Amino acid sequence: MDGTVRFDFIHFMHYVHLPENQKEFASLWVDFPNKYFDPAKGRALYQRYMSELVLADELGFDAVVVNEHHNTAYSLMPAPNLIAAALIPQIKQAKICVWGTPPNLEYPNRLAEEYAMLDVMSGGRLEVAFPLGTGMEYWSNAINPATARERYRESIDIILQAWTQDGPTTYYGDFYTYRYLNPWPRPVQKPHPPCYIVGTGSPETVELAAKLGFGYASVFVTKDRAAELNEQLRRSGAKHGHHIRPDQLPLQVITYVAETKEKAEEEAVDHIRYFFEDALRTTPTFLNPPGYISLDQLKKRAALANKLHGAFSFQNINESFFVAVGTADQVVEQLTQWGETMGTNHFVIFGAIGDMPHWKVVKNLNLIAQDVIPRMRTAAAANRRVAAE
Amino acid sequence: MARPDPLAGFDRQVLAVNGVKTVVLTAGQGEPLVFLHGAGTWHGFAFALAWANKYRVVIPFHPGFGESGDDPGLSDMHDYVLHYLDLFDVLGIDKFRLVGFSLGGLLAAKFAVEHGRRVERLVLVGPAGLRGKERPTSDVLRLPPDQIPSMLVTNFDVIKPYLPEGPDLDFVGDRYREGGTLARLLWEHPYDLKLHRHLHRLTMPTLLVWGEDDRLIPVQLADVWRRFIPNADIQIFEGAGHLVLDEKREAVDAVQRFLS
Repeated sequence: MDGTVRFDFIHFMHYVHLPENQKEFASLWVDFPNKYFDPAKGRALYQRYMSELVLADELGFDAVVVNEHHNTAYSLMPAPNLIAAALIPQIKQAKICVWGTPPNLEYPNRLAEEYAMLDVMSGGRLEVAFPLGTGMEYWSNAINPATARERYRESIDIILQAWTQDGPTTYYGDFYTYRYLNPWPRPVQKPHPPCYIVGTGSPETVELAAKLGFGYASVFVTKDRAAELNEQLRRSGAKHGHHIRPDQLPLQVITYVAETKEKAEEEAVDHIRYFFEDALRTTPTFLNPPGYISLDQLKKRAALANKLHGAFSFQNINESFFVAVGTADQVVEQLTQWGETMGTNHFVIFGAIGDMPHWKVVKNLNLIAQDVIPRMRTAAAANRRVAAE
Repeated sequence: MARPDPLAGFDRQVLAVNGVKTVVLTAGQGEPLVFLHGAGTWHGFAFALAWANKYRVVIPFHPGFGESGDDPGLSDMHDYVLHYLDLFDVLGIDKFRLVGFSLGGLLAAKFAVEHGRRVERLVLVGPAGLRGKERPTSDVLRLPPDQIPSMLVTNFDVIKPYLPEGPDLDFVGDRYREGGTLARLLWEHPYDLKLHRHLHRLTMPTLLVWGEDDRLIPVQLADVWRRFIPNADIQIFEGAGHLVLDEKREAVDAVQRFLS
């Protein structure tokens, strides 16, 4: 630990008003009928979810995080940059993280432009992540999953060129030709906003982060695997001449704080169940469109899919993933321990869980802000003093 | 019960074709008959052994399918036409009879459009490739893989022996690989937008073969093909689906009669 600690608040903005027969649908992604979207309810959810993100800023979280998914009740954010833009005037201090738009789903110059706009409009508070995009995004958009990884690398290459080289430049690639790459505006932060790769642990994407010196956030991988990935990124980053800092390894933790352990579980578990059983529910075919992953990965993931998408057991989820549900003391202890084992000081608090009502999110954020964050900041500062002496 | 060896009865050759591992099955003696397979190789080619009584049957696995190697550089159907020019050079085959099934039907049509003088007779069996606006082809890339086999036949018993009885990760993986190759070729359009413009070049004797109950590429598409290939014969077989050659010996015999 380098003596600081960072807390982000991530929101997935689920559409929670599912029809009574929702269990009959094998997937709430890709082909879940959009007639079940009610715009009036959607508007109320946007207002509520935005207020929760704004609250996190007011309570002293270091950053708010939004992301992108398509064709799904899992997310009301097919265009997270719109959310980020709407947040900028309301969020006074926190960084705004768009983690992020899969670059394959936009023209790369346009994504470079949109992110530069957000960076300029927010006065340099933007951080971005480049996900490949889940398999489900490739069923929902007109992009070939079989060439997704090549296209993705080229897109990132173009975006970095657009941000770091004075234009106009040219780019003659396999997927895109730019005769005048010269986007206005350019980002405030130099050479560009902090970048992460976010992924589910494909060796190729970890290697890409290492090569580019980006952070890496793994999502929906088991604890053991996440530790391996962080170690792989540090080792491989060093080979490419990049020292990967702890804050570049954001750790997403399902977090809920209440007065007692029992109360915390009582208040949170049903919503965690909703997250895994309902919000995430999809089919193996949607998870892995043709050509999207290697055969080796396909076989490895078949095992994980059973954990993620099988029958819910809180004990299983607790054992497999980063879940901190308990008193503030317990959560502080748990996060401190994971910070050490994972080599990170950057926690992404997944604290608006599943179909959790507003009051629980507000309570959770308040307790985390009052009783968890200050203590971990104090401890980190103490470590910093010790290290300095 | 062990699944039957889908390659039983064939000799197997492993060739390097412009750097791509290409496995070629052969059976019989005589003039060459090339068969281009569809997007799923798991049900084998047992039907083609009947043709080996009279011809030297040559069945190459397309790159990215079955036993041949992968080459992501082959990214459109025309790359496969060029691959086959290379393969036929390696095999020393100049003129031949050409039978193409499903995806292989599209490939055979494209090959014959460009290299018609080499194709003495052409048979297209339930060929993919035309959009068929009135009665569209099922988009095989949209179907869940486990639902595909039962859509291919009217009599499931014909293919049942080739399918695993329970969960089989290797089988799933093999199909996933073939699906990935298909996506590389056809994800953007599960048909060839321009093929119909060029089908008038198919002036060699041409036969269209269809199963009447083809649920993947409906039999009505036969008429669309013939609109563009005026001299083509059509033979339709009752009680057969997309895998009409696997299901109907009469269809196999009809192909042989046409080729002779």
